[in-house]
Amino acid sequence: MANLLYLIRRVLQAVVVILIVTVVVFCLLHALPGGPARGILGPQATAQQIAQFNHEQGLDKPLPVQYVYYLRTLLHGDLGTSYTLNEGVSQLIAQRLPKTLVLTVLSAVVGLALAVPLGMWQAVRRNKPTDYVITTLSFVAYSTPVYFLGLILVLVFTQLLPWFPSQAPQGDSLGQVFADSNALVLPVIAGATSMVAVFSRYMRAATLENLSEDYVRTARAGGSRQRAILWRHVFRNSLTPVVAMLGYYVPVLFGGSLVVEQLFNYPGMGLLFWSAAQSSDYPVLLGCVLVISVATVVGTLLADILQRIIDPRVKAGTS
Amino acid sequence: MTTAEKTTQAPTGPILRLTDLGVTFTTETGDVPAVRGVRLDIAPGETLALVGESGSGKSTVALAAMGLLPGNARATGSAAVGGRELIGTPEAELAGLRGRAASMVFQEPATALDPLTRIGAQIAEVIRNHRTLPAREAAREAVELLRRVGIPDPEQRATAFPFQLSGGQRQRVVIAMAIANSPSLLIADEPTTALDVTVQAEILDLLRSLAADAGTGVLLVTHNMGVVADFADRVAVMLEGEIVETGTVEEVLLRPRHAYTKRLLGAVPRLAVAEPGAAPAGAGETPPAGDEVVGLREVSVRFGRGPRAVQALSDVTLTVHAGETVGLVGESGSGKSTAARVALGLVQPSAGSVSLFGTDLRRSRGRARRALLAGVGVVLQDPVASLDARMSVAECVAEPLYVHRGRMTSAERRARVEDVLERVRLPRALANRAPRELSGGQRQRVSLARALVLEPRLLVADEPTSALDVSVQAAVLEVVSELQDEFGFACLFVSHDLAVVQHFAQRVVVMRAGRVEERGSTATTLLHPGTDYTRRLVAAVPVPDPVLQRRRRAARQEAPAAGRTAAGE
Repeated sequence: MANLLYLIRRVLQAVVVILIVTVVVFCLLHALPGGPARGILGPQATAQQIAQFNHEQGLDKPLPVQYVYYLRTLLHGDLGTSYTLNEGVSQLIAQRLPKTLVLTVLSAVVGLALAVPLGMWQAVRRNKPTDYVITTLSFVAYSTPVYFLGLILVLVFTQLLPWFPSQAPQGDSLGQVFADSNALVLPVIAGATSMVAVFSRYMRAATLENLSEDYVRTARAGGSRQRAILWRHVFRNSLTPVVAMLGYYVPVLFGGSLVVEQLFNYPGMGLLFWSAAQSSDYPVLLGCVLVISVATVVGTLLADILQRIIDPRVKAGTS
Repeated sequence: MTTAEKTTQAPTGPILRLTDLGVTFTTETGDVPAVRGVRLDIAPGETLALVGESGSGKSTVALAAMGLLPGNARATGSAAVGGRELIGTPEAELAGLRGRAASMVFQEPATALDPLTRIGAQIAEVIRNHRTLPAREAAREAVELLRRVGIPDPEQRATAFPFQLSGGQRQRVVIAMAIANSPSLLIADEPTTALDVTVQAEILDLLRSLAADAGTGVLLVTHNMGVVADFADRVAVMLEGEIVETGTVEEVLLRPRHAYTKRLLGAVPRLAVAEPGAAPAGAGETPPAGDEVVGLREVSVRFGRGPRAVQALSDVTLTVHAGETVGLVGESGSGKSTAARVALGLVQPSAGSVSLFGTDLRRSRGRARRALLAGVGVVLQDPVASLDARMSVAECVAEPLYVHRGRMTSAERRARVEDVLERVRLPRALANRAPRELSGGQRQRVSLARALVLEPRLLVADEPTSALDVSVQAAVLEVVSELQDEFGFACLFVSHDLAVVQHFAQRVVVMRAGRVEERGSTATTLLHPGTDYTRRLVAAVPVPDPVLQRRRRAARQEAPAAGRTAAGE
């Protein structure tokens, strides 16, 4: 019951945040030079044509009224029409979003699966050579731009060691993408690297803090072995702050896919965003912004729910 | 005499034998010897108390006896549990001994348990560390252990998380873990320091009966001489890493030989208690002499709103007059600190009125309010946290002058700071040091200097000495008392330590669950309490006299149901 109430409250909060995002996106759409009409009709259009277009599209109505129209079309899944691709933005995003999700989710899973044990291992071997080496590598990985990292990966693993193709899977359906899984390896590595660097740092810090907690001493005094203490107690206690960070990392992941998709020519949302930015295709850009915002809100919501599952104190409202 | 009665696996030898134990910590600034030449034996069924002030090395000895010393410690000599040498034994083998041959109860029950694991599972883990047993069997034993340590409704409580238990219950869980495999040695490091006196009395009773039932040897580490008198058979006194005196509890507490032991016992504030059956002196509350300095009238405070709101104070009336000290006592959560904060203007009452120096504090705003509050000085419990680590001692003390005496020239300010530092008896050379370079007692004097620099008419002290050693506590309280005689400020003194309040305050206000339970002159109220609650509170304080304490304990245990409700468990 308490869980259900919490869920309802959090979903309502998420809806409010998304509504605020739509207001911002709406305002941005109308702040475009010449407005949407100029964008669609092009620079050759006469003032009369623009006025007629505005009248037909309801763009001469007061802004709040237009906002209601905008929301209504949004609810029908209509994000407007691309200036350049002559296709609905919703259709464009619907084709591309699953591919980007495959890339980002795979990167996140691989990244976390490496970062969490790595961070714990570093904490256990604190201030020993392994810790220093991994710390240095983390800083290098974190400070290397994804683009540069991708280029190096391509150079090493397609040219020097021809193990993987330099192009990501080009198939239209997800099935085709997965069928060509070998081609996914390099993009996923490029996407996961900064995640490993960042989250292994979080995990190292959280583990170190927990290793010095009194309950670890209690467990040792009860005869528990180091390995058991680490996995039974420290692991879960260290995971809570890391999980809390996950939600905020969603936009970073999308930002990374922007570069990775461009680099490996992977036709996902990042590439769509990239080309829309090149051709000032504002409806597409803002549609992408909206989708990424929603993904971020959903990501934080999932992270909060996950944290509630791990830590009973969150649920009880004490900390 | 208790030693020979019980027979265990090794009836002849001691359970714990430390021979010439030395522990040295390697730090960045070089090696620091923490413990030197410690030699002591604990026989089966015997309780040995290791006492001393902070930094004396008593906890280090306890950790060495568990093989739990931190990585930068190096142990020499010998520490043997049941004949098994610990020093030099590899970690994996030590783990096999911990929790079985020797186990430990820690000081802070709030942090000693894994917050994310159910308590039943934590106890079962200790069981399964040493015995091959199906999980279900271990879980059943864990419930049984919870029952033995007095947790009500253990089947259901076993599935609780630590945060769902009170402090006393958490300590019972830690004890359950410690006795899970019937160890022959139990090490208790300040097991009751973080608990209220009534809960402390229950935990000590529990430990005593468990140890007596199983013939367990107990190493009790504590700084509280009352706890020693209540629990120990023998006492070893530590000073700067060495044992300076060992003897039976009567010898050491009643007829100390070493000068340090005498000094230590001299500094312990003793709760004067009426002999059972003595008649009350009959004197009522003597009306205080001076003008009223602060007055809370029917003050209520609520924190939060809706069904989760907490009523922190209800109808609290409390006055402090010029020149007097009023002690505010009660268990944790009784609202004594909240009441002090209301007097400081830090917490807004939801009902009632607060007058400070005759002016209604709730009505005054802005500059007038600031001028009013300039007349109040405050000293808080934690001398480390209450001073800005980036300021020098002189800057810390001068800060109120910048706020309230903006027109002062820097020369005047410097003179004022020097004067007040001298009055709290801090050497002038310390003025330019950082607070972290000072000892706990010195830091608390800096707090005091800062509170007094504006020559306040009211000093609010919230547990000002509970983080300090007894000898330091005595010195700090003496300074406060002298300055009060000199300047005549009123003092609202919040403390959980009834003995300190008895010595320091003329009047006392006893709080319970946000209400005033009882009030009166300190002498009558604490010697002859008028309410059951205060009576239980006084009865639960262990006095540092083993003979007297034995009688008090017997008297307390005769009134059985009384202790429960006071503990709030």
